[in-house]
Amino acid sequence: MIDALIQFSIARRWLIIFLVAAVAAVGVWNYQNLPIDAVPDITNVQVQINTEAPGYSPLEVEQRITYLVELAITGLPYVEETRSISRYALSQVTVVFEKGTDIYFARNLINERLQQAKSEMPAGIEPVMGPVATGLGEIFHYAVKAEPDARQENGAPYDATALRTLQDWVIRPQLRLVPGVTEINTIGGYEKEFHITPDPAGLLAYALTFDDLVEALPKNNANVGAGYIEKNGEQYLIRAPGQLADIAAIERVIVAHRGNVPITIADVAEVGFGKQLRTGAATLDGQETVLGTAVMLLGGNSRTVSEAVADKLTEINKTLPEGVIAEPVYNRTVLVDKTITTVQTNLLEGAILVVVVLLVMLGNVRAALLTAMVIPLSMLMLISGMVETKVSANLMSLGALDFGLIVDGAVIIVENCILRLAERQHHLGRLLKLNERLQTTFTATREVFTPSLISVLVVILVNLPILALTGVEGKMFTPMAMAVIMALVSALILSLTFVPAAVALLLTGRIEEKDNAIVRTAKSLYLPTLSAALRFRLPVLLGAVAFVLGCGWLATRMGAEFIPNLDEGDVAIQALRIPGTSLTQSLEMQFQLERAILELPEVKTYFSRVGTAEVASDPMGPNISDGYVMLKDHEEWPDPNKSKAQLLEEIGEKLALLPGNAFEISQPIQLRFNELISGVRSDLGVKVFGDDLGQLLRSGNDIAEVINSIEGAEGVKVEQVSGLPILSVEADRPALYRYGLNVADVQDVLAAATGGEDAGLVFEGDRRFAIVVRLPEQLRSDLRTLERLPVPLPQGGFVPLGEVATVKLAPGANQISRENGKRRLVVSANVRGRDLAGFVAEVQQKLDEQVEIPPGYWLSYGGTFEQLESATERLTLLVPVTLVMIFALLMMTFGSAKDAALVFSGVPLALTGGIISLWLRDIPLSITAGVGFITLCGVSVLTGVMMVSAFRDGLANGKDIDASIRDGALLRLRPILMVALVAALGFLPMALNTSTGAEVQRPLATVVIGGIISSTLLTLVVLPGLYRMFYRNPKSTAESELVEDAVIS
Amino acid sequence: MYSITRHRKPRWLATIFVALTLSCALKGAYAESPAPGAPENEEAHSEEGHIALTPDQIKHAGIAVDRVGPASIRETLPLYGQIVPNAEREHTVSARFPGVIKNVAKQIGDAVQQGETLATVESNESLKSYPVLASLSGVVTQRNANVGEQTGDRALFVIGDYSTVWVDLSVFPADLSKVRVGQSVRIVNRDPSITGEGKITTILPVGSSTNQTTTARVLLDNPDHRWVPGHFVTAEVVLSETEVPTAIRDEAIQIVEDQTVVFVEGDEGFEARPVMLGRSDGQVSEVLKGLQVGEAYVSTNSFTLKSELGKEDAEHGH
Repeated sequence: MIDALIQFSIARRWLIIFLVAAVAAVGVWNYQNLPIDAVPDITNVQVQINTEAPGYSPLEVEQRITYLVELAITGLPYVEETRSISRYALSQVTVVFEKGTDIYFARNLINERLQQAKSEMPAGIEPVMGPVATGLGEIFHYAVKAEPDARQENGAPYDATALRTLQDWVIRPQLRLVPGVTEINTIGGYEKEFHITPDPAGLLAYALTFDDLVEALPKNNANVGAGYIEKNGEQYLIRAPGQLADIAAIERVIVAHRGNVPITIADVAEVGFGKQLRTGAATLDGQETVLGTAVMLLGGNSRTVSEAVADKLTEINKTLPEGVIAEPVYNRTVLVDKTITTVQTNLLEGAILVVVVLLVMLGNVRAALLTAMVIPLSMLMLISGMVETKVSANLMSLGALDFGLIVDGAVIIVENCILRLAERQHHLGRLLKLNERLQTTFTATREVFTPSLISVLVVILVNLPILALTGVEGKMFTPMAMAVIMALVSALILSLTFVPAAVALLLTGRIEEKDNAIVRTAKSLYLPTLSAALRFRLPVLLGAVAFVLGCGWLATRMGAEFIPNLDEGDVAIQALRIPGTSLTQSLEMQFQLERAILELPEVKTYFSRVGTAEVASDPMGPNISDGYVMLKDHEEWPDPNKSKAQLLEEIGEKLALLPGNAFEISQPIQLRFNELISGVRSDLGVKVFGDDLGQLLRSGNDIAEVINSIEGAEGVKVEQVSGLPILSVEADRPALYRYGLNVADVQDVLAAATGGEDAGLVFEGDRRFAIVVRLPEQLRSDLRTLERLPVPLPQGGFVPLGEVATVKLAPGANQISRENGKRRLVVSANVRGRDLAGFVAEVQQKLDEQVEIPPGYWLSYGGTFEQLESATERLTLLVPVTLVMIFALLMMTFGSAKDAALVFSGVPLALTGGIISLWLRDIPLSITAGVGFITLCGVSVLTGVMMVSAFRDGLANGKDIDASIRDGALLRLRPILMVALVAALGFLPMALNTSTGAEVQRPLATVVIGGIISSTLLTLVVLPGLYRMFYRNPKSTAESELVEDAVIS
Repeated sequence: MYSITRHRKPRWLATIFVALTLSCALKGAYAESPAPGAPENEEAHSEEGHIALTPDQIKHAGIAVDRVGPASIRETLPLYGQIVPNAEREHTVSARFPGVIKNVAKQIGDAVQQGETLATVESNESLKSYPVLASLSGVVTQRNANVGEQTGDRALFVIGDYSTVWVDLSVFPADLSKVRVGQSVRIVNRDPSITGEGKITTILPVGSSTNQTTTARVLLDNPDHRWVPGHFVTAEVVLSETEVPTAIRDEAIQIVEDQTVVFVEGDEGFEARPVMLGRSDGQVSEVLKGLQVGEAYVSTNSFTLKSELGKEDAEHGH
């Protein structure tokens, strides 16, 4: 079949060229649709259901909302887990679906169930699904700010409320229309509210209640349509406007009549603009600000979308009032551009190096260019493939591409074609006729086609374990493996079709067969080495084995990390204060923090979100702030050579100056990912499930004590569930009885007084602002005043709140976490200096023995140890299977287990170089480095197959074993060197680059370069000797193969 | 046999290698700390409740200290009340002998002096005219007398003296024990610029059954008549005004693990000292136990220290 394909390609070469051009065009077109981002998206398929419940405490939120939502979700198909948190005024249920579930389908399912749940919830409570976005979604942040001398229309300076109003009603609606934006999230400032703040004494004086005020407003604040009348052939619409427009109008609303005198709101209350009870705030460089965040729709192209948002924002800025601007503070485009530039430079430089190598080694411009053509063509095919399989282009997916590797197959074919064509020309002593040329091209292609096919298949095979990774590692590395496989398959297809066709078309003239100077030098150096290697084959072999073992030992001594951290160029600082910290206090501490960090000359801006934004995609308490430190370009630093690690250290020093905060330093995207995929992030998490929070905490503390006593435990932590100071106002029922009051009477007064009661809306065009009735601020915040709050009695008169209720201040539940429908408390621990599995086993045993868990409570074990276990299990199964498959593949090729084993021996030899080069550059082992080793397997198999098949050809042609080996090795020297050089040089820019994103590719490139050097040297030196050992006597070949087969079977 | 072992080795080696690299990489993944580069905030919390801070940290956190010292604590009780006329200073004037009103000298609202003639009445029996005199200086608040009318038994005038008024404060059962005759009271009108001082003169013996209150009556001077009977007012009863030797500012007080603590300056830092508090007026509190006069305590930004104490437990859970 392959023969037919090659023959067809050569015969219909123009058609093939045309088809390739068409495929390339499709690739170019697809490029427009390729999602481009800096890093792969590691978010799972999840839907967040956020329910705002203003005024509800965590316990009430859980009981009245979270439970209902969870109940509704229970039993949905494809759900992997549900977890929830209930905190002040917010319930968030996160439903994680199985991998591959369509997000819109999932949302539909949830939506349907939510409709049922809604009817059971308290009035006015509306569960909403979070935006259709992933962890990469927050692509653009901007701060709305005003010049100090800018004035509003009424002459007042722009305050947080005015800026928020502009954000809510001018900027946000326009930005939401930008294609690819699913949400504009806002945090900071105050929503404008009309506040009616009654004086309790005033209400008493007129025997009025909060409710009287609240009820009076809707009766005086509505426009009514009243149909139409016909008059003289015309139709008059009738309306009765009655909406309140401003403060003065609200003040004039009549609440009651006393002695024939109307009592207006102004008589008993002050009316003014007030501050909402907000759950979050934003800061910029040590000042309050209003922060907007553009959230990208899932699957969007972050570069395009953030660019569009930036453009739109520039446009909007022109329409904002004088002195007010919305200033971009974070734009994903910058990072993506930097990363893409890095990748592009690496690929381009690599490609140029490859072309240069080809030119030098082949000595034929046409052949070199035609080989190089494979690079862009396979790239375009890869793009089509990526669009088709929805793999986004990013540092990881494109990071492992090496053009050297891609062209390897083509290089071998072109090299052989040149060799054979030149031979034939030389043989015939004239230029070849067309059919001769086509014939030679075919045979030459066919001759070396096997090694390139094998090498591609081997690379695909060794990539399989990577495809089997699950969880975060899977999401990170699967695209990489996919891209490599797709690129190689494209290159393979091209080598079968395009390359022979182009060779047939282009290599027409006289072809120089003589080796150029470099190859000649190489050969002259190689020949004596080869002879020596053959003579001292046993010592050489033993040396190689010792070398391999030594490197194996070295590998176990090396440090390891997950993946090298992608440097996003900016820094994220999460500052955590104790639960119960008020927003104002938290802001104050945040200001101190920002001022301290801004003292560093490398810092451009520092903006933060404190608490929860309007769309609660990250429900943080007011005690937590996510800060983003934007750094200046390196050139603008006082010392441009300062490393980021150094800067981080300086930031750490600054942070240490600020007591009362705990910090976690990460990077913007990393931070978001951590928030989204957080399950249990430590090695071991013991989850206690049950009903009573107190009991959960007690059990948790018991468990923590036991774990702490076990060797190797570190950082044992009990989840913080309490510590929020809660002021409970508990009605005293006997007292209520005496006064003839209901509990609700007391609660209503309290809720209205401190929480405020909604009394309608004021409309200004599209804009609508709430009218809230609430106690004046100075009274609300005074506990003593609260106790004195008059509760109206049914028979007239009043009684102070303290008389009918007890006010208690006690720490209460800070947040209630639930998982799969049950309250949960996590005790987490990390393990140092001992094996995880043994530790977990000991923990389980000791907990069983020493901790008594009451009935109705149960434990479950989670944490990364689970993933590690499953990953290890998978790999211990898959890696040997893969190796067996590679071996089987080689056996099928050669029909000889011995040859297969010989080729295979190159693999460990190749790995040694990788390990040594990592060690030399002081780079720890990582999965990226692992991917490099995988690539190495492919290259070493390729060279091995080329070598061994040349030896076999020699033997088959009846040559004696030594001659076969010597001739074969010399024949293959050029292609092997070329393959090695292009692969190694193709990765060279990656290994040396230091710009944004390079740190991810560096280990991979380092491994490949080092490995290829060792692999090539050892293939050229060790393999011939090894082969010689196995085939001492050509006559015994058949016999030894029999033995071989017996062993294998 | 030689050859068999020989060519099996590469396979075995390769397995080891690939498995090693991959599993090392994976292990590394999990061993990695979630926050690379996080500063090690290793303040030595050598003993429970001790916080070591450098002067630099103290400056950045804006922590300020004060010394424990004497203060005067004014404990007050806020109450609501109503201005009522001073019943002792409200006189009803009627005609001594029934007769016909011949002349009326004063209108409602007129100020009168004691002994001034309000009206002239001709007695039905003696047919002599006699003057009806004001029995106290004040203002005419009611007039049921017109020329030509028979006086009958009715009150012709009501004269009120509003130079003093009563403030009837509603005292609820829980507060009753705190209120005593003689305590001074600060009265605030709905217009907060109008304030006055008075003393509790009486606590009425009979309470009201509807709202369970007892009335404490304050006599309030009303020289320029700004206190109008009928108006509601708020009152602050000064329960005690004491000079205490050891007092601290209320901002210093924090609650840590159910204990009331004050952060005291010690060697190289601060210490959370449990204290027992006595009287307080919302600004200053008396310290009964735990602090000595002259000790330096954190009076500003004490919360920062509380947060520092608890920050190890601070986390961002999902």
